[in-house]
Amino acid sequence: MSESLVKIENIRAYYKLKNREVKAVDNVSFEIMENEIIGVVGESGCGKSTLSNVLLNNIIKPLTIVGGRVLFKSNGEYVEISSLTREEVRERFWGKEMSLIPQSAMNALMPTIKLSKYVEHLAQSHGIPKNELLKKARKRFEDVDLDPQWLNRYPFELSGGMRQRAVIAIATLLNPQLLIADEPTSALDVVNQKVFLKILLEMKRQGIVKSIIFVTHDIATIRQIADRMLVMYAGKIMEISPVDKIVEKPLNPYTEGLLNSVLTPEPEIKKRGITTIPGTPPNLIEPPSGCRFHPRCPKAMSVCKEKEPKLVEIEPQRKVACFLYSEERA
Amino acid sequence: MFKNMFKPLFKSKKFIIGLSIVLFFILLGIFGPMIYRVDPTEMTWDMEQAPSSTHPLGTDTYGRDILAQLLYGIRSSLYVGFLAALISLVIGTIVGTFSAVRRGITDDLLMSFTNIVLTTPSILIAILIASYLDVRSIEMIAVILGLFQWPWFARAIRAQLMSVLSREYVYLSKMAGYGDFRLIVEDLIPTIATYAFMSFVLFINGGIMGEASLSLIGLGPTEGISLGTILQWSVMMDAIRRGLWWWFVPPGIAIVAVTASLLIISTAMDEVFNPKLREE
Amino acid sequence: MISKQMLKFIGRRLIFLLITYIVATTIVFILPRVIPGNPLNQILSRLSQVAQANPEQIRAAEKTLMEQFAFDKPWYVQYFDFLGNALKGDLGTSVSYYPRKVLDLVIPVLPWTLLLLLPATIVAWFLGNSLGALAAYRRNSWIDKGVLTTSLIVSQIPYYWLGMIFIFFFGVKLGILPVGGAYSQGSFPNWSWSFVLDVLKHYILPFASIVVSAMGGWAIGMRLMVIYELGNDYVRFSEALGMNDKRIYKYVFRNSLLPQITGLALSLGGALGGALITEIIFNYPGTGFLLFRALTSLDYPLIQGIFVILIASIYLANFIVDFIYAVIDPRIRLGQEE
Repeated sequence: MSESLVKIENIRAYYKLKNREVKAVDNVSFEIMENEIIGVVGESGCGKSTLSNVLLNNIIKPLTIVGGRVLFKSNGEYVEISSLTREEVRERFWGKEMSLIPQSAMNALMPTIKLSKYVEHLAQSHGIPKNELLKKARKRFEDVDLDPQWLNRYPFELSGGMRQRAVIAIATLLNPQLLIADEPTSALDVVNQKVFLKILLEMKRQGIVKSIIFVTHDIATIRQIADRMLVMYAGKIMEISPVDKIVEKPLNPYTEGLLNSVLTPEPEIKKRGITTIPGTPPNLIEPPSGCRFHPRCPKAMSVCKEKEPKLVEIEPQRKVACFLYSEERA
Repeated sequence: MFKNMFKPLFKSKKFIIGLSIVLFFILLGIFGPMIYRVDPTEMTWDMEQAPSSTHPLGTDTYGRDILAQLLYGIRSSLYVGFLAALISLVIGTIVGTFSAVRRGITDDLLMSFTNIVLTTPSILIAILIASYLDVRSIEMIAVILGLFQWPWFARAIRAQLMSVLSREYVYLSKMAGYGDFRLIVEDLIPTIATYAFMSFVLFINGGIMGEASLSLIGLGPTEGISLGTILQWSVMMDAIRRGLWWWFVPPGIAIVAVTASLLIISTAMDEVFNPKLREE
Repeated sequence: MISKQMLKFIGRRLIFLLITYIVATTIVFILPRVIPGNPLNQILSRLSQVAQANPEQIRAAEKTLMEQFAFDKPWYVQYFDFLGNALKGDLGTSVSYYPRKVLDLVIPVLPWTLLLLLPATIVAWFLGNSLGALAAYRRNSWIDKGVLTTSLIVSQIPYYWLGMIFIFFFGVKLGILPVGGAYSQGSFPNWSWSFVLDVLKHYILPFASIVVSAMGGWAIGMRLMVIYELGNDYVRFSEALGMNDKRIYKYVFRNSLLPQITGLALSLGGALGGALITEIIFNYPGTGFLLFRALTSLDYPLIQGIFVILIASIYLANFIVDFIYAVIDPRIRLGQEE
């Protein structure tokens, strides 16, 4: 039985603007277990990027944590990082215990210094001997299929795909427990995507990182890499489930809609064709009452408009927030 | 359309402050001489007097009232600045538009020409041209100054036009009636308009400063009084070393006040129109 | 170490600057012949007014002018004659300082101008950029607001007017610094300590006038560059990796500084203009002062010669700055493929 690495409890993270609030993450609770890859899926604007920032405690105005807490297991103990300041979390955790792979690797690396220099600076910032980290970097480059020679070059001298691999190598240099990948494959072509996912899996397999949380709008990639999938909509969790189970039988109508809108070369899909979910994602300043999805849900009932469904465990390991599965019906 | 563009400007503190100061000076320039009816060229026996009740800003070596000179000077300097800015704007628009629309060799040639003007030290050439002219009218000075500031603007116009044209180009070829054309106009004009305003404001600065520089070395307008000519006279009479501060300090303050406020206006516009700079 | 791209970049800049130089000198040359109203007559009437003393001198000057401006020959012949002579180092003979040659008049004063202009511009550039970066790092703090407001105002103060204020305040009122000249009257340039100190004392105010005023402009520009640069991806990534702030600021400063180098090159022309006029205010014996004398006496050969040399200097400086940029920015030095 593996333990939780991160516990997110009733987190509410809003963007406080002049006279309104954008409720980007609204009462979200889940756990990231050790040794798992969890995918967070949703349309643009569903709050998943804000979630990444909450995990890191990268809270900068106007983003504010209005309620709830985030617990991170560090050295066997759970630390409430949401109660620390951004600077404290940054100093103690960023790079060392949790790290980030950003969306665009193109510009993620400091363009005007050599990669080796960058690694040296990283060592300096963390108080580690430079040579030690450089040695590690060389080995890590090999792990991601990059000739260590490239460390002595500038980022622009590497191709796009190589840069992506270099970013992974550098992001995991200090063996962080949690790796947050925020839309890392959006800007990649299919071939590089496959390579990227393969490398991520290797990182986990070798124990370089313990767990990975993969945030994306692309369900197809999640299926290839994640153990569990978490579906977000309008700041709320719709469903959490192991990947194979959720694909086989999605419980929440929103999940079903999402899966139906993806084109993959499976015979059932070819038969069924793809459908889209009608309507547009809601306004997070004044979200719909009750279940946020009810205006677009083909299976909406009258209770869905009035009350908010709670996230309940329906089957072992599967949680869903939908009145279709609870006793409360019209 | 324009109303929507400009409403947010008026919420900016910087913009209001800058605009107020500029308007104040414009009003001074227009109405000042009418209210303070003293002849700036009238020589009196009160030579080199410090500020007093009769002469609020004192007098110069020839007993001429400095405040009167200042008011006329503000008027001329603003006029030159405005005119020079207009000329630069026109040249820049023409060059930029032609470059973007014609493309090919015309574009290359015009851009090379623009680069040459950009690299050439404009003040020097302006001095040169002015030195060869026997009689220099204010308009002539404005023309000389206007010949050098436009390159930045031409480049920007060209860039904007090219991006829009390439986008709509496909639609243009399938264009059925005015529909798409109006789209271009409504899309293009606001972007160009904002940049035009900002550049115009900065050009005025260049015009005022340029005129002051030219006047100081004796190449200003041969007739009339501008802020630069007042400074020139003060230097010629060694006012600095003789401590006649009321002669050279006020014109300088006027120049700095006007140009700084114009710069503040331009900066405020930049902050409002350029989303990357917004504070929220 | 030098890539093909770098050579291409340098080569292109060199050719561009050469062409621009030729264009500029052509303009300098053509102007007097193109402006309506024969400047020659002006000069001559001026000379006859001014040179009460020596009618012989006037005639000699007249003769020189006629030769130099050879209005009898077609203009392109004149132009090539001029170019030919220029390459040989002969920029003509001055009219107001007749019979001294233009080049001999300009060469001694040029160093004074460069001594003032170059250090002042570079110091202003560096200080201004540092201040602007500081303001951007501490966005919206009182440092930021203070720097921005002050810079907005100060950047618009003409060098020469600031010079006037300084002379008045420090020279006349307080009397602690000299009110003009590059060195005390009566002393002759030499390399003794006392002379050097004397020069430095006279140098402070004109230097300060340029530095204080120019700094403002750089601060505003750099602040903008840094604000923009702080939004770049590598900043976010470096932060997420636990890189400390000091290091990230160094990164941002370095990357923002690069385009400012190009800006420095472009600003030299304007800076030179301001410096020339400042020289006049300070009675500083540089090129500006000489130019002023030449303008007042309409000494066209001298004016023309000064311009040709000044423009050449600007372009040379431009080229040096471009070269430095090409070396410093690894993307150009090693040739970016994209």
